[in-house]
Amino acid sequence: MIVLENIHKAFGSLQVLKGIDLQVVKGEVVCVIGPSGSGKSTLLRCINHLERITTGKIMIDGEIMDERRDNRDLLKISGHKVLSLCAEVGMVFQRFNLFPHMTALENVMEAPVQVRKVPKNQAAAEARELLVNVGLGDKIDQFPSRLSGGQQQRVAIARALAMKPKVMLFDEPTSALDPELVGEVLEVMKGLAQNHMTMIVVTHEMGFARDVANRVIFMDEGRIIEESSPEAIFSNPKHERTKAFLSRVL
Amino acid sequence: MERILATMPDIFMATGMTLALTIVSIVVGMLLGLVLALGRISKNPVLKGLTWTYIWVFRGTPMLMQIFFLFFVMPKILPALTTNAFNTACIALGLNSAAYLAEIIRAAIQSIDKGQLEASKALGMNTSLAMRRIIIPQSIRRMLPPVGNEFIMLLKDTSLVSAIGLTELLKIAKQMTSSTGDAIFYLPIAVIYLILTTIFTFVFDKLEKKYSIYE
Repeated sequence: MIVLENIHKAFGSLQVLKGIDLQVVKGEVVCVIGPSGSGKSTLLRCINHLERITTGKIMIDGEIMDERRDNRDLLKISGHKVLSLCAEVGMVFQRFNLFPHMTALENVMEAPVQVRKVPKNQAAAEARELLVNVGLGDKIDQFPSRLSGGQQQRVAIARALAMKPKVMLFDEPTSALDPELVGEVLEVMKGLAQNHMTMIVVTHEMGFARDVANRVIFMDEGRIIEESSPEAIFSNPKHERTKAFLSRVL
Repeated sequence: MERILATMPDIFMATGMTLALTIVSIVVGMLLGLVLALGRISKNPVLKGLTWTYIWVFRGTPMLMQIFFLFFVMPKILPALTTNAFNTACIALGLNSAAYLAEIIRAAIQSIDKGQLEASKALGMNTSLAMRRIIIPQSIRRMLPPVGNEFIMLLKDTSLVSAIGLTELLKIAKQMTSSTGDAIFYLPIAVIYLILTTIFTFVFDKLEKKYSIYE
């Protein structure tokens, strides 16, 4: 579903990603853990073009999203094509980024109506269903400012799902939440995983990674240090840096 | 008092003229200001330079001089563009306020969290769709207070075009003063300006409340 080959990303002289290779198959849930500054978020942001990679190749569902070397495109991909591939990849942000001038329902309907040209009443019906699924059936007409952080993040998940993405990327989706609101968001994500959504989740929630992930990736200093099943990585980490990190967070 | 009453129709017409000048000019100014603001924000160095120069010239020279330039000098340079005093006045006021409004609009757009644009892109929106549906609607709320301010300034600045012969409020006061030799006429005209600015202050307050519902 997602193939990343030799991804490098530099901001000026700062090397953030130093050669990442990763394949995620359909229906797989991959959790990415690691210390802050290890490049986890940047990796996610590169997948859907919020950041452009310096070198490497990104493929989504067999289609090339980006192929570059030293900041130059090896393959010209039209802006239109990039946007349509972006729409296949749902993204959930740490800070929700809901549209504050729209109600929960309008937030969820916006992209299907404006980008996919779904008729309004159909989009509204689907949006309503999505909001009910994330447990917000009674908050449909509320503006984001009237919702708690956990509720906002659930609207954001529904908004991403409304585009019927093939993959969902989660960039520390619970890091900005009060501790008592984390559970409701993780529950929704767990539900998605059970429905075989392909997911890449950057997270500090080790419990979630242990329970839900098919595979856990430990990143440090722009590289993948270790990857394996959650049982293996949490009970028997191979690499010294993984051990040191896990001993700090567990 | 009777003399004032006798001039009521003239004052009424002049009030209409001041309002027409203000509203046409602010519309011209907003539209052009939006284009200039987008130019200022764009990454294109030519657009950036052009809009910067525009704002530099129109903010850096007196408005009265710009009005004179358009009215007296432009017809000599480009006779084909010669038009009447009202159109010239609206263009001059519009061009000038566009420079100020451009900066107001730019600041409002740039004040919107960049996460909004990222979320739009992640949902497959292109930049112009994201601007139209997500960024600009949110910036309207933020630009309302300074735009209201600019509107009031513009309303008062319309008095400058009395210098090219348009009979708006200040001109009517001057005319009545010179025909009667009594400067008292400035007083009711000042009151009319005050009434107009009060009304529009109120209107902008209402608009701000209307656009604040989601906060």
